[in-house]
Amino acid sequence: MLKIIIPTIMLIPLTWMSKPNMIWINTTTYGLLISLISLFYLNQPNDNTLNSSLMFFSDSLSAPLLALTTWLLPLMLMASQHHLSKEPLTRKKLYISMLILLQLFLIMTFTASELIFFYILFEATLIPTLIIITRWGNQTERLNAGLYFLFYTLMGSLPLLVALLYIHNFMGSLNFLMIQYWIQPLPNSWSNIFLWLACMMAFMVKMPLYGLHLWLPKAHVEAPIAGSMVLAAVLLKLGGYGMMRITTLLNPLTNFMAYPFMMLSLWGMIMTSSICLRQTDLKSLIAYSSVSHMALVIVAVLIQTPWSYMGATALMIAHGLTSSMLFCLANSNYERIHSRTMILARGLQTLLPLMAAWWLLASLTNLALPPTINLIGELFVVMSSFSWSNITIILMGINITITALYSLYMLITTQRGKYSHHIKNIKPSFTRENALMTLHLLPLLLLSLNPKIILGPLY
Amino acid sequence: MKPPILIIIMATIMTGTMIVMLSSHWLLIWIGFEMNMLAIIPILMKKYNPRAMEASTKYFLTQATASMLLMMGVTINLLYSGQWVISKISNPIASIMMTTALTMKLGLSPFHFWVPEVTQGITLMSGMILLTWQKIAPMSILYQISPSINTNLLMLMALTSVLVGGWGGLNQTQLRKIMAYSSIAHMGWMAAIITYNPTMMVLNLTLYILMTLSTFMLFMLNSSTTTLSLSHMWNKFPLITSMILILMLSLGGLPPLSGFIPKWMIIQELTKNNMIIIPTLMAITALLNLYFYLRLTYSTALTMFPSTNNMKMKWQFEYTKKATLLPPLIITSTMLL
Repeated sequence: MLKIIIPTIMLIPLTWMSKPNMIWINTTTYGLLISLISLFYLNQPNDNTLNSSLMFFSDSLSAPLLALTTWLLPLMLMASQHHLSKEPLTRKKLYISMLILLQLFLIMTFTASELIFFYILFEATLIPTLIIITRWGNQTERLNAGLYFLFYTLMGSLPLLVALLYIHNFMGSLNFLMIQYWIQPLPNSWSNIFLWLACMMAFMVKMPLYGLHLWLPKAHVEAPIAGSMVLAAVLLKLGGYGMMRITTLLNPLTNFMAYPFMMLSLWGMIMTSSICLRQTDLKSLIAYSSVSHMALVIVAVLIQTPWSYMGATALMIAHGLTSSMLFCLANSNYERIHSRTMILARGLQTLLPLMAAWWLLASLTNLALPPTINLIGELFVVMSSFSWSNITIILMGINITITALYSLYMLITTQRGKYSHHIKNIKPSFTRENALMTLHLLPLLLLSLNPKIILGPLY
Repeated sequence: MKPPILIIIMATIMTGTMIVMLSSHWLLIWIGFEMNMLAIIPILMKKYNPRAMEASTKYFLTQATASMLLMMGVTINLLYSGQWVISKISNPIASIMMTTALTMKLGLSPFHFWVPEVTQGITLMSGMILLTWQKIAPMSILYQISPSINTNLLMLMALTSVLVGGWGGLNQTQLRKIMAYSSIAHMGWMAAIITYNPTMMVLNLTLYILMTLSTFMLFMLNSSTTTLSLSHMWNKFPLITSMILILMLSLGGLPPLSGFIPKWMIIQELTKNNMIIIPTLMAITALLNLYFYLRLTYSTALTMFPSTNNMKMKWQFEYTKKATLLPPLIITSTMLL
């Protein structure tokens, strides 16, 4: 694992010591090289994990997320070039260093083998994200957004710390690999219920669960593009990954503790999808669609069947790429008209046809069109929730319909129809932007040819 | 203050604390406390104005009362055990008296009322000495009598201190009062764990002293005592603003900075002793502390306050050598990774 971590650490001196016109090129290139290294970890032996050292390991659940994280760093750097072009050099270097630091913490989080180590890094990812949102966001609401983000997450995760230390005491070790063999079933009692809650609430807030999702629209909307990308693509998946890891300890209590959260998620995904239909703010629409997709992941993780875990993993990777691509597209709009309102930039298909192609593909993957991996994820989750309880298919069906509705609404509002008069003199698409969209889309489409890699450890 | 007098007074302060830490005879300990208190009064009154006089008087009254209570506890202990050596105190009344006296000296709740007012009335340098060096002596005595302290009393004091420290600091804009409430909260964390594992208290004290020293030094660099004057720092010392950012986050106890280490260790020790609700409550209340540190960082490092000063790099020459030692110490002393 050091062969990924040490190069990522060395990216920081690279930014500070490069020539001023080479900082973006250097960091993007080396970031892409690091992501190539992480692809090696996708080759997993069957039914087992790849142990790198005492502290790091990677299995079929964390390897795709690791590849997603390392793939996203060069994409974030490419997306940030335009809005940082007018800033002084030191601030550009600071921004890039924050992104690299965040990347480093995320890599270590996904490959941590001990749960307290995972917790420390889970919290550590908050600090660079907070700095990126509060310092480089664009509106005054970003201060509030940063506060909501930090305090919601911390309020949920401090009980997690206490619960992890208690389990450490109780079980002797928190090394994830050993715990799989030492777990005993958790009997039903009030203190175990609180233990379950303490363990899960941190990840529920991070996912986010419907009732605790207030931080997400604020943070996503106020963050600059790289912040939105990394938040939507990776930081939400931290919650899903953590939930999958920690539910191994919490059986069989999950069977009935899951009910309130299942209800919140099932109802919440319909609610947030419906909110999307009435949004005027483009980034806010994409943020609420993230909540809706993640609610599916919560449902899948709480059901705890093999198919649902496969669906959750596939959905996490697919949603990461899709959501990040949608934020990039929204940002390309924002950079031209400096407003997030959707109706101000209509009819872009006649002005920027290639970008319209990317909009089409992104919207199609967002609504889970076959044969993309989005569909595989959603389909597995729908099927396993049907087997858990027959009635959920009604809610899932309504959700898929409304998802299709708002994705097409977003597509049609921004691309089709007559263009508004004042956008006639927008700049044409940069090659950088087209490259960005291609690099988002290629993994999505190629993975639909071989989805085995992202289906997780239960394949 | 003339240098010879300053040297003598500083030496007396240090000697006083040293005597407290090194003696095993209760009378000498009391003498050390008195030396310390009498010598620090002129330091508190460096700037000769009524506010400083009021602050010194309040400090003197509370500390003298605490010393007398300590003496009473010592005498009761002498009555029941017949010896002056500091060791396990068998009599509960004596133990409670001593604990109360020492927590009064530290500024734990419910004896915390003097801390914000005294800290506010004195200069930044005196405030720094007050909040760091003066905590060492009482803590060392608490460490030595830790087997015989009444756990319930101290845990109650600790919990209320953390709550008071969190809530009291919320409405403050004066930096010295913010640091005073932060001191109350941190003392609460330290007091919570003395009876279970005193080593963690030493760890927390060390890290707290490091962080507070750095914070005060950064404030003195700018001679700022209010949030408003701190927010002009982006213009003069842009590098120091990022230092303040990291320092404040470390004081708030965010991983992976070193302010997280004592919190983690204390929660670990408390859960090993089967207390779950108390560390959870303390951890969540520490979030209140984090809120007002974060507010300081918002106004300093993360936003640019309007200011009329357009020149950058104005005062490069003051104190730059002394301050840069400590912040790297703070950040890199995370032994976690």
